[in-house]
Order: sequence, then C-alpha cells, then structure tokens
Amino acid sequence: MKEILKVDSVTKTFRLTSKQQRQRKLDQKVLTAVDNLSFTAYEGEIFGLLGPNGAGKTTTLRMLSTLIKPDSGDALINGLSIVKQPAEVRRNIGFLTSDVKLEDFFTPDYLFDFFSDMHSVPDDVRKERKETLFKRFGIDKFSQVKVADLSTGMKQKTSLVVSLAHDPDIIIFDEPTNGLDVITAKVVTDFLGELRQSGKTVIISTHIFSLIEKVCDRVGIIIDGKMIKCSSLDEITAEKSLEDVFFELYRERKGDEI
Amino acid sequence: MKNGALIVFKKELARFFGDRRLLITSVIMPGLLIYLIYSFIGSSMNTLVEDSTASYKAAAVNMPAVIAAQLEQMNFEIETITPDQTEQYKEKVRSKDISLCVVFPDDFESVMANYNSKTPSSDVPNVSVFYNSSDINSSNAYPLMITTLDSVEKELSNVFDVNALTDDISYDVATEEDTTGTLMAMILPVVIMTLLYSSCVALAPESIAGEKERGTIASLLITPVPRSQIILGKVCALSVMSLLGGMSSFLGTFLSIPKLMQGMDGESGSIKTDVYGAKEYICLIVLILSTVLLLITVISIISTLAKSVKEAGTMVMPLMMVVMLVSFLTMYQTEVKTEFFWYCIPLYNTVECMKNVFSFSIVSQNIAVTCAANILYSGAGIFVLTKLFNNERVMFG
Ligand SMILES: Nc1ncnc2c1ncn2[C@@H]1O[C@H](COP(=O)(O)OP(=O)(O)OP(=O)(O)O)[C@@H](O)[C@H]1O
Ligand SMILES: [Mg+2]
Repeated sequence: MKEILKVDSVTKTFRLTSKQQRQRKLDQKVLTAVDNLSFTAYEGEIFGLLGPNGAGKTTTLRMLSTLIKPDSGDALINGLSIVKQPAEVRRNIGFLTSDVKLEDFFTPDYLFDFFSDMHSVPDDVRKERKETLFKRFGIDKFSQVKVADLSTGMKQKTSLVVSLAHDPDIIIFDEPTNGLDVITAKVVTDFLGELRQSGKTVIISTHIFSLIEKVCDRVGIIIDGKMIKCSSLDEITAEKSLEDVFFELYRERKGDEI
Repeated sequence: MKNGALIVFKKELARFFGDRRLLITSVIMPGLLIYLIYSFIGSSMNTLVEDSTASYKAAAVNMPAVIAAQLEQMNFEIETITPDQTEQYKEKVRSKDISLCVVFPDDFESVMANYNSKTPSSDVPNVSVFYNSSDINSSNAYPLMITTLDSVEKELSNVFDVNALTDDISYDVATEEDTTGTLMAMILPVVIMTLLYSSCVALAPESIAGEKERGTIASLLITPVPRSQIILGKVCALSVMSLLGGMSSFLGTFLSIPKLMQGMDGESGSIKTDVYGAKEYICLIVLILSTVLLLITVISIISTLAKSVKEAGTMVMPLMMVVMLVSFLTMYQTEVKTEFFWYCIPLYNTVECMKNVFSFSIVSQNIAVTCAANILYSGAGIFVLTKLFNNERVMFG
C-alpha cells in the first residue's frame, strides 16, 4: 500500500496570553496542543483520529492543511512537505472544518465557481464536476439560494462539495457529522465510503465511536496531544469494543478523573 | 491560469454590487445626505437673513422728517411722540412693546441747518437711542438705527466718499474664479479627506476583520492562491468601493456648496462650481485615487490586527485623528509649499496638492511626487499585510 500521508513527530505549542491563562486556570505560559505526533495513512483508506475535547485533533488537521505551521516535525502529503511546500500541498487536499466557513452572502453555485477558479480548474471540467456533485447531494435544488438562508445540513453539504471543487486526492474532514441530523449525517458518511471507493484518502477527526466503527479502516487515538494507539480498526476491536479500549487507555493515562 | 488577485477582486465586487442595502448605504446615501443637509443649512440661513428685514416699531421725539423717511424705507414704523412721553415709551421698550425710543434735542434741526463743517465745534447735540438688549427685535433694530443715524451724520459733514459709485462698477477686482478658488481651497480638502476616510472605514474593517471574525478567511487561505494576491485583490476591490462612496460624497458637497455659500453671505453669484476645467478634475481624481489606495491599505493593516469588526473600529480611531488634524492644520495656511519633501509626507501631501488644484495653482511635479509617494507607501503596506496574513498568531490568534 502506498503511503499517502506521513506525519513525522509534529509538535505544536500555543503561547497563551495572560487572559487565556486566567480563563483556563493554567500556570504555564505555553500550551502543548500536539506533542510529538506521528502516524501514517495509506492511499484509498479512511483514517480516523479519535480523541476527547481538547485532545489536539483540530490542531493536527489544521497543520496538515497548512493553515498553521508545526513548531517542529513535518508531514508529507503525496510526498510534499507541509512546511516547505504549502502551496503545492493545498492543491492536493480538500479541507473541511467548522472554522472554514462559507460567506453568507453567496449562493452554492457562485461559491463552487469561485473556489474552482481559486484552484485554477478549467471551465468545462468545473461545469461537469459541479453538475455531478450538486446532483449527488441534492444541492441543485438550492444552488441559487444564499448560504445565509440555508439550514445547517444544507450548509455542511455545500461546504463539503465546495471543498471538493478541485478534486483533491486527500480529503481532511474535521468532525464531519457535527450538528447534523441522522439523515444528513448518513448522506455524509455514505459519501465518505464513495470517496474511498474512488481511490481517495480521507482523514477524519471525531469523538464519536460509532462513526469510527462505521467508516474507518484505521484509527489513531489521541489524548493530550499524544498518539496513544494507532492501528487498524479490526486489530483494535478484536477483543473489546472501541469504546472499552478507549476508556481503558484513557484511565491508564489520566487515572480515574474524568 | 487565472490570476488569483483578479478572482478575489471580482468576488469582492460581486459581494458589493450584489447587496443593494450595502450599495445604498455606502454609495448613494452619503452624497445624497450631504447634498440635502448642506442645501438645507444654506436655505435656512437665507431665511434668517430675510428675517432681519422685518419691520420694527420705534418711538421718536423731534425726529427730522428726512431721517424718518429714510428709516421708514428700512421698515421702521415711526411713532412721533412728545418729550414728556419719553419715560412712558422707554417703559414700552423695556416691556418689548416697541423696539426703540429715539430722542433728538429740541433745537436739533436748527443746529443742523447752521452746521458748518469748516468750523467744528465741541458743543454738538446728542441723540439718545433707548433699546432693550434682552429683546431680539430691539437688538436687531438698534444697530440698524445707529448705522442710519451715522450715515446721516456723515452726509452732513461729507469730505470724501469711499466706493460710493454703485453704477456698473465692481470694486472687488477678483474674478468669480478667484473667489471660488480661495474658498474651495480652504473648505474642500478637509471635506474630501474626511469623506474619503469615512468611506474607507465603512468598508475595509468589514471585509477583513469581518471575514476573520466570521471564519470565512480560512477558506481563502487554504487555496493555492498566494496570500499576496488575495490581499491585492481585496485592497483593489476595497479601493474601488471606497472611491465610489468618496465620489458620491464629493459630488454632494461640490454641488451643494454654492447653496451653502449663498445662505452665508446672503448673495449669490460669486461662488460658481463650474470654474474648474478638465485639468483640475484629472488632478483631483488622480490624487483621490492614490489617497484611497493608501488609506485602504493602512485601514486593512489595522483590520487584520483586530479580532473583530468592533475592535477594528476602535483601533482606527487614532488614524481618524491624524486625518482630521492634518486637514485642519493646513486649512488656514496660505503659502504654497515648494520643497520636494513636503509632498512625501502621506496625507499632508494630498491636502496640500488639493489646495493647489482648487486655487488654480497646479504644479504637476508636486502632484506626481504625491501620487508616487502614496503608491509607494501602499506597496509597502501590502507587503506588511502579506507578512501579517502569513502570521498564524495574527490570523488565528
Ligand atoms: N489558537 C490557539 N491559541 C491557544 N490555544 C489553542 C489554540 N488553538 C487550540 N488551542 C488549544 O489547544 C488544545 C487542542 O485544541 P484542539 O482544538 O486541537 O482540540 P480538539 O481535539 O479539536 O478538541 P475538540 O474535540 O473540542 O474540537 C486545546 O486545549 C485548545 O484550547
Ligand atoms: Mg476540534
């Protein structure tokens, strides 16, 4: 199997302002959000990062998408360094998180065209791709409605489709089902399977066990910015359920405090 | 490959022109409001002037008929009274029933008839004018009465006249151009700078700090388009929008100034806005363009550093002070700066050049230096912006 993403001991710290220190009741000035994290994802699989709130999942994915830079370490995406070749990396990935929002004023149709242009997608390719994707997600019914007037589910579908405008090989998806009802969530998870089918690699983050169990091939468990366990889902769940494995590991690290 | 800056530029303009409310509040309203307000001030001042020619009631003792006639022409209603009624009418002035009570000495007319300007005497008759400073009518009538009496007195001892020939002679040799130029040079640079500043401030924080606040900026930053191009697209689009807002305000001001002036001096005709030609307009447009670019860049930098639109609004306050200070300081300064370095000082250079344009003393060289300096500073600003956009603490702090 081809290694498509290789994360090599990345560390990310945030310097806290004194206000942030007070708010979090922390003494130290520096918060280590991601601590010497390594993992590998292979072509055509769905890799899941599982961890509690504040574990460092979003921070990791933001580094992979080149929005922020690691303090140390590096990751190769399709052989491209996120530190040294951020622009090339951006061509190869589609990134979707709750902090990448769409402008309220525009319609899905306009936004798809806009981001296609930003990725230099040729006009004829864009047209065909738009038609297929809009139909697949039922966006064609509201493609001329402003984002401001869309429901959460419609917005999430639009964000997803727009992030695929340049047909990236790797799709990075932070909390893909957050805030979605069961129906929209199913549309999204089904689509993740389709992406894998078509040879794409998908990296998701979540704290929902069932989502991992349903779609992921391999899983990495992150606690306090550290990779605690990383292997295939089958291996991890061979003896116990994912939930049991997770809490066992969690107690090992944190004691009985929850 | 399409140019990233152009794509962002087009998107920003689509946002602007697609939003009717934004378009109305930032382009149409400023000009219209200024026009209406200035015209209204002008016309209400006009009515004030007219009001001052209202009629006044006055009582007079021993007033010569010539003087009475002259006063009646000035809308005075003169009631002739006897000397012993004086106290009674003074009381009427106090109770605001009449405006003035004028008392001439008994022998006034005979003294005047025998007056000889060549043998001045120290024993001149005194005329008393009783008035009431707490009554608006009386306060208005009093100076009118004094001027009239004074002019009668001067006529009696006329030695020479100044500017008295009224037929077909205009003693003010200034042309309409000169009058307009001086006035416009004093007022318009301040007005234009303030208007440009406010239209820039109305748009840039929303487009940059607003996108940061709403989390939409990240969607631009994860595209392969270099950040310098994203910034260039945004700055250019914002400049175009601000320019439209600025132009609208300028037009409103420019068109309503004659009305405002008419209200101020009560006469029309000396202020005309059609005295400026293509040369002046071209210089003005070039100056405004480069200034808007500079202002937008500076406000964009501030907006990038801010976390929200509100914070950006507070952070641009000092810049407003600077703009106001520079414009007002130069308002009454009449000498034209000739040294090169004055035109390298941002903001000041524009104000100085605009003054020259409005007073018909354009020095192309100074305007060129000003524009070059403004563009250079904007370029430096865009460089700073790129650095800021690449700084994750600034963008996602
Ligand atoms: N810009 C920042 N400045 C300071 N601290 C930050 C910043 N971004 C993240 N953090 C902190 O880093 C830690 C990891 O955050 P992160 O968002 O990566 O967690 P997460 O695993 O995505 O959690 P969640 O499930 O809540 O989304 C948290 O303690 C968070 O408060
Ligand atoms: Mg998160």
